[in-house]
Amino acid sequence: MIEVEALTKRYGSTTAVDGLTFTARPGTVTGFLGPNGAGKSTTMRVVVGLERATSGTSRVDGRRYADLPAPLHAVGVMLDARSAHPGRTAYKHLLSLAQTHGIGRARVREVLGQTGLEAVARRRAGTFSLGMGQRLGIAGALLGDPRTLVLDEPVNGLDPDGVLWVRRLVRELAAEGRTVLLSSHLMHELALCADRVVVIGRGRLLADASVQEVVDRSERAGTVRVRTTDPERLARELLAAGAEVTPQEGGALHVRGATVDDVGTAAQRCGAAVLELAAEQVSLEDAYLQLTADAVEYRAAGASGGAR
Amino acid sequence: MSAAVAAPGVRSDARRGPTFPRVVASEWTKLVSLRAPWWTGGVTVVVAGVITYLSAQASSVDLGFDPVDSLGTGLALAQVGALVLGVLAGAGEFRTGAARTTFTAVPRRWPVVAAQALVTAAFAAVVAVLSVAASVVGILPPAARRGIEVDLWAGETPGVMLGMGLFVVGLTLLGLAIGVLLRRTVPAMVTTLVVALVLPVLLTMVGPPPLPADPAVLEPVAQVTVGGTLMVLSPGGAAQLMTFPASSGPMEGGPDIGPVGGGLVLAAWVLVLLVAAALRLRLRDVR
Amino acid sequence: MTALVTGRRADGGAVRGAPARRGPTFPRVLRSETTRFTSLRTNGWLVLGTVAAAAAVAYGLGLFVRPDDGRSGSWVVTSGFVLAQLGFLVLGALVATADHTTGTARTTFTAVPRRLPVLLAQVVVTTVVALVTGALALVASWVATVPVRAADAPALDLAVPGTARALLGLVLAGVGVALLGLGLGALLRRPAGAIVGGLVLVLLADQLLAANPGRFTDTLRASLPSAGARLLQDDATLAALDATTRGPQLGVWGGGAVLAVWVVVVLAAAGYRLVRHDVR
Repeated sequence: MIEVEALTKRYGSTTAVDGLTFTARPGTVTGFLGPNGAGKSTTMRVVVGLERATSGTSRVDGRRYADLPAPLHAVGVMLDARSAHPGRTAYKHLLSLAQTHGIGRARVREVLGQTGLEAVARRRAGTFSLGMGQRLGIAGALLGDPRTLVLDEPVNGLDPDGVLWVRRLVRELAAEGRTVLLSSHLMHELALCADRVVVIGRGRLLADASVQEVVDRSERAGTVRVRTTDPERLARELLAAGAEVTPQEGGALHVRGATVDDVGTAAQRCGAAVLELAAEQVSLEDAYLQLTADAVEYRAAGASGGAR
Repeated sequence: MSAAVAAPGVRSDARRGPTFPRVVASEWTKLVSLRAPWWTGGVTVVVAGVITYLSAQASSVDLGFDPVDSLGTGLALAQVGALVLGVLAGAGEFRTGAARTTFTAVPRRWPVVAAQALVTAAFAAVVAVLSVAASVVGILPPAARRGIEVDLWAGETPGVMLGMGLFVVGLTLLGLAIGVLLRRTVPAMVTTLVVALVLPVLLTMVGPPPLPADPAVLEPVAQVTVGGTLMVLSPGGAAQLMTFPASSGPMEGGPDIGPVGGGLVLAAWVLVLLVAAALRLRLRDVR
Repeated sequence: MTALVTGRRADGGAVRGAPARRGPTFPRVLRSETTRFTSLRTNGWLVLGTVAAAAAVAYGLGLFVRPDDGRSGSWVVTSGFVLAQLGFLVLGALVATADHTTGTARTTFTAVPRRLPVLLAQVVVTTVVALVTGALALVASWVATVPVRAADAPALDLAVPGTARALLGLVLAGVGVALLGLGLGALLRRPAGAIVGGLVLVLLADQLLAANPGRFTDTLRASLPSAGARLLQDDATLAALDATTRGPQLGVWGGGAVLAVWVVVVLAAAGYRLVRHDVR
């Protein structure tokens, strides 16, 4: 369980995190979403005690991170793919980490196996690809069999196999009752593996909601493309429902302000046969801009209350 | 862009690759956009001024005090700044991985080394002028206190000031050459410090220890010794020669090659190391 | 890859992280730091290089020593320290900065959030390694100077007052310089800065001040870490040094004490910075 309350972190005159409040609960994967530079990594570094908050608090299992009796068993942390000395082998890197908590060699070999690094365990970390470095970081996070995991951009640099593996891993960890806080700047990535998302921008909380809510919201902000046998009738139906419709070539329509479900049911209502129906990919930028515009409304609706 | 489209096949001037002046411009931008050169340069100037002042102040109680004699004392410590500046300029590229970008842009590579030497020398020249100026400022208060008028343009003083300036530039280039050759900051730094600073100390330990200083019986040692010769031929020792006037005679136990000779020895070292660095760049992979 | 969760979970352990598990005690952190040190190849080369530098310089300088030079047998053996001290300095500086320059600090200090035990463990590791390195350097220098001592250079005579201490001094001064490097490294978090600063403190400032003898400069020389090199001098040399200085006379152990004070102060400052400042 991670509780962040009114957290503010300033570097000189720049405010990296501004009055942020959210909670990551056991048994759920909490996605931490925001564009680059939004303050995600700073927040995570404060949570794990590497940096001191200017004001506000952050607690893990009800304690300050520095007061945890056995930090590795409480929180598994992966902040950066490049967090091992390039001259040290993967095995020795994990072993030195394990030794701080009296964790045995068997467990080190176990996490190496779990992350698919057995074959390269005796290779120096400096020779690793970004993806292998990422796996080594995750191995370090799993080492203490912790109740809480804090993973900063864990899928960065992983190949498609690795991305699938991370998704399944975090789902399983949460299913076992652990708390998982996972950051990403990719909305669709979080949509696939998170239960809740905390969205921040310029250090402030923009949304704290379930994934479904955020996806619906951004889908409404996006466009649905539909091709039908009777574009005029469907357009009338959709306009009546309050959507915005732009006719395209070949009998297709671009619809804004309605989800795929809305368009599908509208077509059925008016009897127009649907030949093609799809949500145009919503870019994170669109969703993010939409969230910024709706920030106040979201905060009011959000589970954890407003930041200011 | 539009020109190239309008007249295909005609080599537009704007499309030419990395000419030497362009590489120089690029290297200059890279050097001055970092913080380290400004820091090390600034520290060099300040140390030169402050140490010269303190040293001249300490000597000003002597009977035969000549302020101009203290001029080079600050550089004895400030040279560390020049060496560090050179090493960081040379090895920094590789440490940060920026070399990949640079050498994909300039695949022939050696122009990059030449350009780096040129811009580092230019930057070091500015540091050198300011350091010499700071040293001059450093001797003024003690001289004024003793009522001695400092004439910078009399006798060998202009030559000494020129030598001091070239000393700073030369040592910066020595650091640069070792930095580019070894590519990694820590080994390059250690090597440079050993070659330029520890080696001269070590060479003074060759042969019998100096007798306790007694000005009354001070006689010039004319004999050339192994230690003295090695000292003069080492980059650090040769560089030191540049800061002494020609009339001060040879270093203890060294052949009398004067400040110009010292400068040539240092230049030879820098050149050999830069060529070695350029060869290594050509022959080996950049990672 | 398919076994996503540990086998141990299968035993029905629904409770994650039983609170009884203990965290980073000092012996554990020390074991971890030992692994960190021994798992980097650079460190081995550094120890070897330091030993080789001490022996080679002692041999080289020994070639030029004549019987009437006034050099002692212990001087011949320990003279390599002038170069070897840089090895000790780099050793300490790298132990302290490796974490910070490679990003490993994030891993290290999330595992040991109180941070100070890490620095203390590094002090212990550096001390032990420097002791071993110093002892090896002493033996290697002794072996390397056997031929020159058999020739013109003076023999090593333990009956000469202070000779045993001078030999031991090579080891002690080496430990002191290594710990100074560690403190400077932990304080500055950059190896280059720590090495340059350390070399100025243990060698260059002293050389500069020696050119300008006087009460002020001699006092300053006596209060710099470079005074630690007095540990390598026999009694006669120390007496001669104390007779000519216009600053305080440090006596037999004074130089070592000055170096020790520097080490303690710099390490304390480093500890303060480590605990108070953010780790990037």
